[in-house]
Amino acid sequence: LPNVDVFIFDCDGVIWRGDSVIEGIPETLAKLRSLGKKMYFVTNNSTKSRAGYKKKFDSLGLSDVPAEEIFSSSFAAAAYLEQTKFKDSGKKVYVIGEVGIQEELDLIGVDHFGGPEDGGKKPDMGPGCKLDHDPDVGAVVVGFDRNINYYKIQYAQLCINENPGCEFIATNTDAVTHLTDAQEWAGNGSMVGAIKGCTGKEPTVVGKPSPLMIDYLCEKLGLDRGRICMVGDRLDTDVLFGTDNGLKSVLVLSGVTTEEKLLSQENTITPDFYADSIVDFFVDETAAVEAKA
Amino acid sequence: QIRPHNPPSGVSLYGRGHTTPLIDNSATSIHLTMNLSKSALTTLVGLISASSTTAFTPSASRAARSIASRGLSSVNTAWTRRAASTVSSSCRNVSGGTALKANVLKLTEPAKDLLPNVDVFIFDCDGVIWRGDSVIEGIPETLAKLRSLGKKMYFVTNNSTKSRAGYKKKFDSLGLSDVPAEEIFSSSFAAAAYLEQTKFKDSGKKVYVIGEVGIQEELDLIGVDHFGGPEDGGKKPDMGPGCKLDHDPDVGAVVVGFDRNINYYKIQYAQLCINENPGCEFIATNTDAVTHLTDAQEWAGNGSMVGAIKGCTGKEPTVVGKPSPLMIDYLCEKLGLDRGRICMVGDRLDTDVLFGTDNGLKSVLVLSGVTTEEKLLSQENTITPDFYADSIVDFFVDETAAVEAKA
Repeated sequence: LPNVDVFIFDCDGVIWRGDSVIEGIPETLAKLRSLGKKMYFVTNNSTKSRAGYKKKFDSLGLSDVPAEEIFSSSFAAAAYLEQTKFKDSGKKVYVIGEVGIQEELDLIGVDHFGGPEDGGKKPDMGPGCKLDHDPDVGAVVVGFDRNINYYKIQYAQLCINENPGCEFIATNTDAVTHLTDAQEWAGNGSMVGAIKGCTGKEPTVVGKPSPLMIDYLCEKLGLDRGRICMVGDRLDTDVLFGTDNGLKSVLVLSGVTTEEKLLSQENTITPDFYADSIVDFFVDETAAVEAKA
Repeated sequence: QIRPHNPPSGVSLYGRGHTTPLIDNSATSIHLTMNLSKSALTTLVGLISASSTTAFTPSASRAARSIASRGLSSVNTAWTRRAASTVSSSCRNVSGGTALKANVLKLTEPAKDLLPNVDVFIFDCDGVIWRGDSVIEGIPETLAKLRSLGKKMYFVTNNSTKSRAGYKKKFDSLGLSDVPAEEIFSSSFAAAAYLEQTKFKDSGKKVYVIGEVGIQEELDLIGVDHFGGPEDGGKKPDMGPGCKLDHDPDVGAVVVGFDRNINYYKIQYAQLCINENPGCEFIATNTDAVTHLTDAQEWAGNGSMVGAIKGCTGKEPTVVGKPSPLMIDYLCEKLGLDRGRICMVGDRLDTDVLFGTDNGLKSVLVLSGVTTEEKLLSQENTITPDFYADSIVDFFVDETAAVEAKA
């Protein structure tokens, strides 16, 4: 605690599991605020915008968290397009993904189409048929899309392969993700994999573990990286995000990674510390209280 | 020509008409295909092998194949850079003699250069036999002539949406009813052949299919239990709180072929099978990025379906279609063929021609499909067929010319 001014929390497996807040979290966050610590909440899930996630935080009893502290990968995609002055090009974005990306693009005034409304479309593939695509698409943004289909894949393929300079942006590439707490569900790695597979191109990834969100935060807020601590439940996205970017890192066991996996021979990613959950950030106090009682 | 380069960098190799060297000091290996007279070949290889002042040492040299009529040999040779370059400025100069160049030969004398040296032709279908749904002009007559010369032929396609029997119907509809189903090797058939070779049926396990009816029909023919395919096209998993998608623990292989009804249900089902069923195989019929599903456009190919499953499992599939050697190994083993007398004919460099060259076959690229002459001869292209032609009709160009001359 004395060595960290700013905490960056992964959400799933750290703050909540699926749709349930993890025990002790609201109190722990309140204690950190009272110590003057700043915090940000980072999630690779692009299906909601920051404003959308604010509602989730509210519903879990965490209404102290303002939207500006939430960094969803949908926001990260928009922040990237803003940093690279995409709007000045006058071009459009084709979206594979859900409303989160669309809401964030609206906030930065970038023209976009696609998204959920393309979910039911099927291209006509009879003799002599072709799918017409907009030559003014200057970027395809790919986020998690449970309504992925061949129309979207073909549309993206045409934009990326035929529109000169068209960018291929991925919110994240997680292979699997806890969309419900009962199972690991195929993640945006599959949507991105589909577009890689028909274009042969590598995307610009804006979510963890890409440094983009950290660079954005540090630049915008003038933070000292050595006094930022990344807290997450996944070694290859969260902890790596921390260690690759010069941050401190803590792995919590309240999510998908077990102590066994962390300590196994095969694991090459080492956080500064690990804990059962962030409630343990105040374990001395808890122990002291229990000792008195 | 080999010309001395200014010291201290040693030998540079120039192609005819090029003013920049094909290799430079940053190259770590050189791999050349050259058509040479035997004397020039002997000179070149001896020159470089014997000299200790060269930066490269021969690492592989495939046996020369003769191009009979002209006394030329087609040679593939490879050199890797020596660890410590001791190249001096005293480089040899080959004076006069034969111009050495890595050129691509147009097929102008098939009766001498191709037909006597090939017993078996393997034809890619799209861009060689047909384009979309139309047969390419002159194909039926050309195939008939090849048969009358006693040539065997097989038709290979990476498109898994139909079975061999399904493709037979397409051949019939295009006026090619001489082609029996047994000569057709669709990647749907290749997937079934692979499962048969690996005795999948003995495991008693099932196959989950991402793909269309072609794969299902071929699996039926080998008696392997399967499910999925088109009937999963309309499914959406329930993703409410606490929900999970149940999957069959007896799935021992997921076969992924082109599927225009790909959806999240199929992706998630495959992810669960591959990640959670011990030993579950991940098989791909092919990985073509794009394909001419209609002749008006390039459509996203099975590379996207396979990419989706790679993206959620982190696993690499076993690929059964071109350019994997599986179909060639199967053919050669089953039919006892001599690879050196098999010729692969296709319109794509990276699937068809590479399929040929990687497997010791002859290869011909035809310009009747997606590859242009410009792309074939461009500097960036590294894949070299033995010959190229406008279409396979040119296999009898001498005859046609003779007939035209008479008329």
